[in-house]
Amino acid sequence: MAKVVVIGAGFAGHTAALYLGSRIGRMHEVTVISNRDVFGYVPSWVWVGVGHMKPEQTIFKLKPVYDRMNVKFVHASAKEIHPDVGDQYVLGEEVGSGKDVRLDYDYLIVAPGPLLNFAGTPGLGPENGFTHSICSLPHAIKTRDAYLALCDRMKKGEQVKIVIGTGHPGATCQGAAFEYIVNVHKDLVKKGLRDKADILWLSNEPALGDFGVNGVQIKRNGIVQKSDEFIKAVFNDHGIRYQVQTGVTKVEEGKIHWQNYEGDEGTTDFDFSMLIPQFKGQPFKYIGKDGSDISAKLTNPAGFVLVDGKYGLPYPELAQTPEAWPAQYQNPTYKNVFAAGIAFAPPGPISKPFTNKNNLAIAPAPPRTGMVSGVIGRVVALNVADLITKGEMTHSERMTDMVAACIASMGDSLWDGNAVVIVMHPVVPDRKKFNNEFGRDLFTSHLEMGVSGAWMKFMLHHTFIWKFKALPGWTLIPE
Amino acid sequence: MEFSPAEKFWMNFKLYQLWRFIVLNIKILVVVGKSKRS
Repeated sequence: MAKVVVIGAGFAGHTAALYLGSRIGRMHEVTVISNRDVFGYVPSWVWVGVGHMKPEQTIFKLKPVYDRMNVKFVHASAKEIHPDVGDQYVLGEEVGSGKDVRLDYDYLIVAPGPLLNFAGTPGLGPENGFTHSICSLPHAIKTRDAYLALCDRMKKGEQVKIVIGTGHPGATCQGAAFEYIVNVHKDLVKKGLRDKADILWLSNEPALGDFGVNGVQIKRNGIVQKSDEFIKAVFNDHGIRYQVQTGVTKVEEGKIHWQNYEGDEGTTDFDFSMLIPQFKGQPFKYIGKDGSDISAKLTNPAGFVLVDGKYGLPYPELAQTPEAWPAQYQNPTYKNVFAAGIAFAPPGPISKPFTNKNNLAIAPAPPRTGMVSGVIGRVVALNVADLITKGEMTHSERMTDMVAACIASMGDSLWDGNAVVIVMHPVVPDRKKFNNEFGRDLFTSHLEMGVSGAWMKFMLHHTFIWKFKALPGWTLIPE
Repeated sequence: MEFSPAEKFWMNFKLYQLWRFIVLNIKILVVVGKSKRS
């Protein structure tokens, strides 16, 4: 009987656990270790952050699902990984009791989600700083409370400044921040308070609508449309000011310090700010048989797990080398260790990086959340099941092959809400396969805004929670 | 770029949006189905 351990129960880890449970759970031992005993549907936290959805509507208990799927659940924080042959195990600390938990494995899937590196920007974050976040449920709840308190001030006639975007020069997940800023706009319009707020989009993207994926390009009626023009139209329509090519370097109470591409340093005042932090890998200790630190064999300096990608290529070469992106997410040194979702180390950025004259790199990191996480979780799980049952892997999917659909909510009302429907094919441009400057299939890629997007976002919330609960037909719903 | 009044009208015209909802769902399912999904 083989033992598989999955660290993490987010989009990637939970998807992997469900596929492993359904494929091999009866004959083999599949264990999930997670410091949270609930699954959180992250895309809907943007609505929690404006008070439009109750937090409990976005979560459900993991254990009952895993009990049905023949998956063991350990409610503990993983802290050490011992990958050397003959003594392979994960050491965790049980939540509540603080007792050590040892989980031996034959195959390990590392999918714990990101470390929210608020410490990377002094003064950033809701715990030790002055800004807010929607990257975890407790943060989204705190953001909601602060936002509603701000609304109360506005109701009394106060003019306020709202800044939303990225809080680090190397941050990712601009899409979540975009959703939040337009939801705040819509909510303020509905409350009759929009004229009391000056709203600014502050981002490290090279251009509006870049989203860390080099933008989205489509062909409509023979004309190429780009996401920068599209998002500019959205912001102009909503009266949202924007400042891109900007890396936030420090936050003080009511003041954001930044540098831009030109190397200019400046500050922006705020009354309320939601800035996405830099993401790093979880700080697990990787320990060899002799007790030495072997992190360098498994992770890059940011703590992301090295997999079967081609690392170290300069950006111009990487942009022309789709095969540099990993296909099976398998560590090259420890072949029974896989990484999924945010946890795997990408070979480089998707958007063009930039370093200003002060040597500050302002470069969005590649997003590996949502659909991408789910797809990788499935690929990794099916390969681990293959290795156990057939002895060889038969699945692979590079981000240069992958389709991603993203519905960016712009108000949750089914009557007058709105959303941008974005389909990217592929997520990472493949300039060898697609003969255009963007490296994308301009026919299947899609960019559209309308009320139908709000309906789709609502539908996705319910269908994905259905899927993640592994209710009948869950495998038919794409990741 | 600005959205024209006509574009804004279609973005909120429910019958047209119902059509777009159906089309977009089919498109996403077809595109995802045609992608590698190995």
